[in-house]
Amino acid sequence: MSINLNYLLIVLVMGGVVTQSIMADLPEEPLVTKMASDQAIGKPGGTLYTLMAKSKDIRMMTVFGYARLVGFTRNFELKPDILKDIIVEEDGRRFTLVIRKGHRWSDGQLFTAEDFRYYWEDIANNKKLSPFGPPPQLMVKGKPPTFTLIDEHTVRYQWDEPNPYFLPALAGARPLFIYAPAHYLKQFHASYTQAETLALLVEKYGKRNWAGLHHSRVRQYKLTNPKLPVLQPWVNTTKPPSERFVFKRNPHYHRVDEKGQQLPYIDQVVVNIVSSSLIPAKTRAGDATLQGRYIRLDNYTFLKAGEKKGNYKVFLWKNARGSQVALYPNLNATDPAWRKLMQSVNFRRALSLAINRHEINQVVYYGLAIEGGNTILPASPLYDEKYTKTWCQYNPKLANQLLDELGLTKRNNVGTRLLSDGRPMEIIVQSPGESTEQTDILELIRDHWQAIGIKLLTRPSQREVFRNRVFSGEALMAVWEGLDNALPTAEMNPKELAPSIQEQYQWSQWGKYYETGQGNPPTQPEILELVKLRREWMHAPTNQAKMDIWRQMLSIYSDQVYTIGTVTGILQPIVVSNNLMNVPKEGWYSWEPGAYFGVYRMDTFWLKNESGE
Amino acid sequence: MVNYIARRIFMMIPTLIVISIIVFTIIQLPPGDFLESYMAELQSQGESIDKQKIAYLRQEYGLDKSLLEQYWTWVTGLLEGDLGYSFEYNLPVNEVVGDRMYLTIMVSILTIIFTWVIAFPIGMYSATHQYSWGDYGLTLVGFIGLATPNFLLALVLLYLANVYFGTSIGGLMDEQYVNKPWTWEKFTSILEHLWIPVIVIGTSGTAGMIRRLRANLLDELNKPYVVTGRAKGLGEKKLLVKYPLRVSLNFFIADIGSMLPSIISGAEIVALVLSLPTTGPMLLGALQSQDMYLAGSFLMFLAVLTVVGVLVSDLALAALDPRIRLTGGATK
Repeated sequence: MSINLNYLLIVLVMGGVVTQSIMADLPEEPLVTKMASDQAIGKPGGTLYTLMAKSKDIRMMTVFGYARLVGFTRNFELKPDILKDIIVEEDGRRFTLVIRKGHRWSDGQLFTAEDFRYYWEDIANNKKLSPFGPPPQLMVKGKPPTFTLIDEHTVRYQWDEPNPYFLPALAGARPLFIYAPAHYLKQFHASYTQAETLALLVEKYGKRNWAGLHHSRVRQYKLTNPKLPVLQPWVNTTKPPSERFVFKRNPHYHRVDEKGQQLPYIDQVVVNIVSSSLIPAKTRAGDATLQGRYIRLDNYTFLKAGEKKGNYKVFLWKNARGSQVALYPNLNATDPAWRKLMQSVNFRRALSLAINRHEINQVVYYGLAIEGGNTILPASPLYDEKYTKTWCQYNPKLANQLLDELGLTKRNNVGTRLLSDGRPMEIIVQSPGESTEQTDILELIRDHWQAIGIKLLTRPSQREVFRNRVFSGEALMAVWEGLDNALPTAEMNPKELAPSIQEQYQWSQWGKYYETGQGNPPTQPEILELVKLRREWMHAPTNQAKMDIWRQMLSIYSDQVYTIGTVTGILQPIVVSNNLMNVPKEGWYSWEPGAYFGVYRMDTFWLKNESGE
Repeated sequence: MVNYIARRIFMMIPTLIVISIIVFTIIQLPPGDFLESYMAELQSQGESIDKQKIAYLRQEYGLDKSLLEQYWTWVTGLLEGDLGYSFEYNLPVNEVVGDRMYLTIMVSILTIIFTWVIAFPIGMYSATHQYSWGDYGLTLVGFIGLATPNFLLALVLLYLANVYFGTSIGGLMDEQYVNKPWTWEKFTSILEHLWIPVIVIGTSGTAGMIRRLRANLLDELNKPYVVTGRAKGLGEKKLLVKYPLRVSLNFFIADIGSMLPSIISGAEIVALVLSLPTTGPMLLGALQSQDMYLAGSFLMFLAVLTVVGVLVSDLALAALDPRIRLTGGATK
């Protein structure tokens, strides 16, 4: 597989288009951003205001800015971005990264292969800084890559086995940083700075040792250090803690528009920190130029009513979760009678069939949602309608029949079915108790399940307690969001569909087994099949093979109803000032993939009126 | 008296030790620790968690040590003026609190003054005109202030201020003045925002104050010394202010003990609703995210202020009210 830069890079014709002053700041070969059909070439200047609830939310600027070594386009294809090119060879074993000549960090120093070497040798493989070695996305079967520095602008990573995690990790909303500003960081590193000088700095910043000092200086994702050089469109200039963070444009940013104007258009982004409950009100008062975070569908009518006065428009973007609210039957429950039932596929199917998703959609979401199981969304290239529909039609009669076939025929005097040991069938659904949405939906499901003789009780608790109850097997069922990534392409890891980590509430103990090797593996053939398919996906040679594996896994996952989805495709209001141009009217508001505004290239947004008023 | 003061100060030491143990236990009570909450939060946003990194951080922050050791590090740090490290902010607690302290003190002192200015005249009027229309009317107003949920009142006032005066919603100043040096414009911007929290927090306190002043004053008004004073021809106003009012202010002085900590903590919920840059929301946030040293240091600081405040009010009472004497000693 090779990603050809020509798709993206229209070679810039220098003559007269680019002015001399801009040239001094740009890389020799800048990335020319072609505007999408609903976007226009803009003009630079102005201030964009946005609201966040916590001071650590400024990390969202790394997400929104979305300058990555390789990044997803709007259609979720991977393309080089900061890199001039990336050459993938030997079936995904060898990656050659080509850096743009003359590309500079925000402080004006050159960005070169040295910055990759510094990360690899002095951070990832330094015992003090990374006691556990390089990050897991860089390890294949526990083995790190061979890193080769070819010349000033070229580096290579080579693995013995294919590494399909590598590119998606670089393109992530929270990206894997495999480079760091060496020229800046060396002053905090024991290999480059004398012990006495370092000791003074450690003392000055109140750290325990130089490793702590280095960590606190290098937060490329969290942006808490205003002195840290970055490659993102905007650079933080405010030292936390603060109620107001000012991000100034990066004068050495590598993207230009087709007219040769350097991006980002907007001069500065001001992030004001206010309590989350006030964000909808402040947005309505016109205090945000662009706002998506901390507003929800419930706020839609409120915000819509203020459009005129606040001089903004509310767009409805789509949310990319497998299911807005999903039920997770605990296949690892400690109670033997219940565990047997939860592991029985017909029991799970009956529970799913008994839910009236149409009613949920009408009552809670004004009928705007998609009804179906917890699976991927129609916008994914892997989508098939059967994943959404399988065992999701409302059919209490069939559900009752399935339960009867399982031998659950006895009922008590109020009509609740009895377990084989005579206990009434009461399922306690554990919830983290944070969202009224979940409780509302559970209320509806309680009535639906009453009709098939199963009693549903809800127990809200605190998030940590909730997790521990599920992990220990004490919980019979949990309520949580559906799949995180419901817009996958074949290149993305299908880890969510097979036991892989402990944080999978339907089989957390099996997940833990595959994550850490502790505990017992599953024995069910379908689950073993999922595990096997996921392994095969890693070594699948072609995109087509990966796609086939995804489809098989999705089929098994929805046929086996490991999680019970309700509705999905919930809309996310996005408030956009009338002065802000180039924000698409329709879009996906999703963390992974997409990085919220990231794939829509926030650096191409511009203000009609420069003052930003 | 000197003896008494010395003894009281000495007794503060074990009290504070016990408080520090209780505070530390309380912040450890919720299951898990900061890193657990941190992991849960990351996961809810779809970010991946590197278990090894968490283990490393746990070691780095000393969360892997025994509770006793953690407690000891914290307490000895407190003695040296080191309030510990805030995980949430990745900064020493001293730095995190910073400017918020001044703004909190400003809000609280103005609130206290507001409460007094409203409550004193009303309390005196109600007592001297017992069961009159004015007494009922003003008491009713006071109770409405007490009974309206603060957060609701705050939201209503915010809305009205925004719609009619164009005041920006939330915060204590317009956003362009944040992190800027003090100027006249910044000051007026603060004044423009300040009245909302002052009214909201203040109204909830006035009713209590009115009732207590009224009750205490009524007790005094019918005592023989008042009758004597009046019989001897003392003017009604002078009579009231000079004797019964002074005596009935007992409760007022005793309140100083709880007033000191309230100057620092402010009214948390109101501050949270109004998004004020005061210490209240910070304490609440620290408790939620189990940022234990930040929360612990705050609670400890409040405890110290309470203990000191109680001492001050005891001494002030002894000085101001001739009826209060030390018991157990030789005095009679």
